[in-house]
Amino acid sequence: MLFVMDATISGPHFAIPLHLAPFKQLLCFSGEQNFIRFPTVRIRELKDDYIKFELRDTDTSIANALRRIMIAEVPTLAIDLVEMESNSSVLNDEFIAHRLGLIPLKSERAMEMRLSRDCDACDGDGSCEYCSIEFNLNVKCNSDQTLDVTSHDLVSSDPSVVPVDNSFAQDISGFDAPEARGVLIVKLRRGQELKLRAIARKGIGKDHAKWSPAATVAFQFEPEIHINEALMETLTLEEKKEWVDSCPTKVFEVDPQTQQVVVVDAEAYTYDEEILKKADAMGKPGLVEIISREDSFIFTVESTGAIQASQMFINAIDILKTKLDAVRLSFDTEEADDQFGELGHHMRGGGIDLVSRVIQ
Amino acid sequence: MASTKEYGSETDDETASTFSLTEEDHTLGNALRYILNKDPRVAFVGYSIPHPSEERVNLRLQTTGPLARDVLKDALQDMMALNDHVRVKFEKAVEDYKAVEGMREMSVGVSGSGRLFLVIIV
Repeated sequence: MLFVMDATISGPHFAIPLHLAPFKQLLCFSGEQNFIRFPTVRIRELKDDYIKFELRDTDTSIANALRRIMIAEVPTLAIDLVEMESNSSVLNDEFIAHRLGLIPLKSERAMEMRLSRDCDACDGDGSCEYCSIEFNLNVKCNSDQTLDVTSHDLVSSDPSVVPVDNSFAQDISGFDAPEARGVLIVKLRRGQELKLRAIARKGIGKDHAKWSPAATVAFQFEPEIHINEALMETLTLEEKKEWVDSCPTKVFEVDPQTQQVVVVDAEAYTYDEEILKKADAMGKPGLVEIISREDSFIFTVESTGAIQASQMFINAIDILKTKLDAVRLSFDTEEADDQFGELGHHMRGGGIDLVSRVIQ
Repeated sequence: MASTKEYGSETDDETASTFSLTEEDHTLGNALRYILNKDPRVAFVGYSIPHPSEERVNLRLQTTGPLARDVLKDALQDMMALNDHVRVKFEKAVEDYKAVEGMREMSVGVSGSGRLFLVIIV
């Protein structure tokens, strides 16, 4: 059996930030002294579907938990059930149903909605406001011109849940730009028609990627670059230029005035170690020292448009909290069982496997 | 959602337990392991996913004295506090960023780029 181990026990002791100070008693569940580090956040860039920010003073495992949740566990809405009334297009029904599923839908409502399998107000047949949204599509081509059926042709029963529209984004030039025309579903020639009813449901990326709100979620460690100035001065200008050019990304530069090598963009470094190999090959090992700071992360979050990028991160935190709650509450039900035995177990409807404490 | 089952050790010593969390994966397993490792009362903690096609995390926890389940419960609370903290900080940072951006846009609209410089410095 494999255990993931970490030998370090406690790190430096950090003070509680001011706004949490009144809750100090409440916060320190696990001892007199607070050994949990409280991270800081700084936003670098913020758009509706893109955010870049720094998360400092925490650990990879926390950053990675949030990343994984954003990709696979933040809920969105996507078309999940399609009833074809008529389809004389060149694509078969299943093909079109799949394409419909992949269209991103505005999903601000998704966090409050119910999963259709947990919904007791309906049988998941789409007649229920808590778990489903209905779409209708009815298009027929009556001209000799090929007709594009796009996400704009989907008519939603809920004005807050519509296909993502990028035509108002800044970078799109002209009305005929491909982005302005919506997501293409199928093309029709004269006489062909497509008529269908579709049900969108709440879901998570773990079940199907169509429900993932994430286009990209990544974090990188912040590199710390220290140039050994003394050793660097033993290089000629030509050698310096050669060394700087050996880096595949533009991290270093030779200052034209002072002729010194300077770091221009530490974060462009991709940990490829080309620059270190070059230094070794030039007979100057230790020319530069590069450390990755493993407690500072630079997050890049790109959304499909279903949820605002900043909201994705907030939702991820909320979901992580519900996970923790679920584990904690399952303890409480277990304790209730210890107290009331089989009776309590039966009263809860014979809960499945929280019951027995196995003592060998 | 997740359910938890606790397995005691052979000597019925409740300072060492294996917790079996269903419907969870590395997302929670690794984060809990980190938080528990920071706790000075923890002698050992590790987790494993016994089989990749089964949604289950086994978390082994040995303490220096207190009940393993109490230490785990504290870890859950600590992580909850950490999450609340990150949420507050993040929302504040977004708000501040938007305020600065809004001010910059306004000053560009009013008096051109000369003013722009000032606002950024502030």
